[in-house]
Amino acid sequence: MGSNSDNDNGFAAKPSSSSSSSSSQTLKPLTPHTARSLVDSVDAFLFDCDGVIWKGDKLIERVPEALRTLRSMGKKLFFVTNNSTKSRKQYTKKFSTLGLEVSEEEVFSSSFAAAMFLKLNKFPREKKVYVFGEEGIMEELKLAGFECLGGPEDGKKNITLKSNYHFDHDKNVGAVIVGLDHHINYYKIQYATLCIRENPGCLFIATNRDATGNLTDLQEWPGAGCMVATVCASTEKEPIVVGKPSTFMMDFLQERFQIETSRMCMVGDRLDTDILFGQNAGCKTLLVLSGVTNLSTLQDPSNNIHPNFYANNLSDAVELLKS
Amino acid sequence: MMLLMRVSHSLLSLSSASSSSSSKTLIAPRFSKKLFSSSSSSSSSFGASSAGRSPHRRRSFAAMASNSAAAPAATKRLENADDLIDSVETFLFDCDGVIWKGDSLIDGVPETLDMLRSKGKRLVFVTNNSTKSRKQYGKKFETLGLSVSEEEIFASSFAAAAYLKSIDFPKDKKVYVIGEDGILKELELAGFQYLGGPEDGDKKIELKPGFLMEHDESVGAVVVGFDRYVNYYKIQYGTLCIRENPGCLFIATNRDAVTHLTDAQEWAGGGSMVGAIQGSTKREPLVVGKPSTFMMDYLANKFGILKSQICMVGDRLDTDILFGQNGGCKTLLVLSGVTSLQMLQSPENPIQPDFYTNKISDLLTLKAAAV
Repeated sequence: MGSNSDNDNGFAAKPSSSSSSSSSQTLKPLTPHTARSLVDSVDAFLFDCDGVIWKGDKLIERVPEALRTLRSMGKKLFFVTNNSTKSRKQYTKKFSTLGLEVSEEEVFSSSFAAAMFLKLNKFPREKKVYVFGEEGIMEELKLAGFECLGGPEDGKKNITLKSNYHFDHDKNVGAVIVGLDHHINYYKIQYATLCIRENPGCLFIATNRDATGNLTDLQEWPGAGCMVATVCASTEKEPIVVGKPSTFMMDFLQERFQIETSRMCMVGDRLDTDILFGQNAGCKTLLVLSGVTNLSTLQDPSNNIHPNFYANNLSDAVELLKS
Repeated sequence: MMLLMRVSHSLLSLSSASSSSSSKTLIAPRFSKKLFSSSSSSSSSFGASSAGRSPHRRRSFAAMASNSAAAPAATKRLENADDLIDSVETFLFDCDGVIWKGDSLIDGVPETLDMLRSKGKRLVFVTNNSTKSRKQYGKKFETLGLSVSEEEIFASSFAAAAYLKSIDFPKDKKVYVIGEDGILKELELAGFQYLGGPEDGDKKIELKPGFLMEHDESVGAVVVGFDRYVNYYKIQYGTLCIRENPGCLFIATNRDAVTHLTDAQEWAGGGSMVGAIQGSTKREPLVVGKPSTFMMDYLANKFGILKSQICMVGDRLDTDILFGQNGGCKTLLVLSGVTSLQMLQSPENPIQPDFYTNKISDLLTLKAAAV
């Protein structure tokens, strides 16, 4: 599908590090020669999930073998996903169901990032968080000890527009978190809007702003970018973004695992989140064409996000690394 | 053909100016300790990371910048109503906050409209609300005791249908609607086939392997307006049409951030629904409602009037007044709706109407001081 030719693929997030050694004029497919030097220069691989590891609930071919190969080479593996519908724990279960051995410590979901953001910024415990998103965000917030409202339950709520009707909202909400939400409805848009417009100092946090994603194996579906845009429009404010291409998750990962970003390779299917994320952080970047981006989009003159390398899919890339 | 291109260019330039900020991504501050202090919770840290962009009225600012013809002179309180009345031939009125508030008529409106008619002025009612058709609005006017004919009402629902007509949208193509009944009725009246609307509000999807959402390949335009039944099904349907049907148009009735669905509080407006589709397709819509001048051009053309002979009366700066200024007509802000004197006079407000007054009945009562 990947009909992105009309798109502005360049998110305006500016690289936080000035070493954009990854900008190359010519786009290079991964070859056995370049793969060798990639393997030698990298200690950790970061993977996006949708479009790289799986598509919806369907595993992409030969991924398990590819991951095993990398582990056998002594490489550390991390999974960095913008999909906030699940918590890290729930993702670990998904990996397991699909036959992949991944530990919770290796998973960084934007749902987890949102909760960590509040924790690190000392969000007061007496304040509440309104969630315009799914269960993943709710779980991570509860794990981090925050009180949350909204989530999937509000997907069942309707509004009645009679002259005496007043839409109430909790004045104690100090942050609104917006992420992918299949149960988007007017009630949630309005609740989030009132909190941000009327509760002084209320934070507006987005897990991510992906336009679409491979939520099923056969087609792309609207992503969190959609939900976030509804609230941007009604509040006329921009959110703080914790997911890719923001480097927040990377900063967190680095602190915890003490790895230099120059010794990491980000593997993803989306230019304006995965690859930009990797570039912003100073990692090497490998684009796989198994997700939302096809070759013509990558090569289109309007695209100015160039990964270090590209390959058809993860399995092909790892085959080259082996040789 | 030339007129068409000019009109659609102005539509495009206005709507793109209004959303230039939406593609920017804020980077989460790095372990910022001071982001949230229990003593003073302010949104200033927010503003700091968004590179000094003021959180309010960004769109109007941008739109203002792209229309440098706007007069830099400060607004004046209306003193001699007769001078203004005599200088124009047509009055355009916004409805919410000018004629009525919710379901109640604002004081002095009937007498004011009668007076203007008796002076031979043409009256037109221009509203961004797309939930009703012109006919349905006509009934609302009637219920409130005002005699207004359908031909005098221009709702953004009508504007969407009129736009499709003006570009000879093929009758064998369909229109997908993310919006309410008003849009459907106007499309039907104009002879267009449509899909979607309130009915699709009950449709659910299940994201399972092997599931494919089909969409009608003959949809040639997606019209998005205020929709209290917005859901994921509609967003995906509209997105698929725009991304996959070659040449499919993306039309917005309006992009109002908030609207007064009940007079007691603000409600997220049509801008939200349009934002959802802009977010998933990364395309900018053609906007037919205020502040785009489509409706103004349409009126001027239809009634054969010069823009300089028109006065736009509204309560909202970034739609009504900007609409009037973009169109090159006189502008009168009334303080009976969403804008207060404080907001008008705030240094952050760049939009200066020619005049301002409390409510439209001032046109009746404000006379030059007897000499």
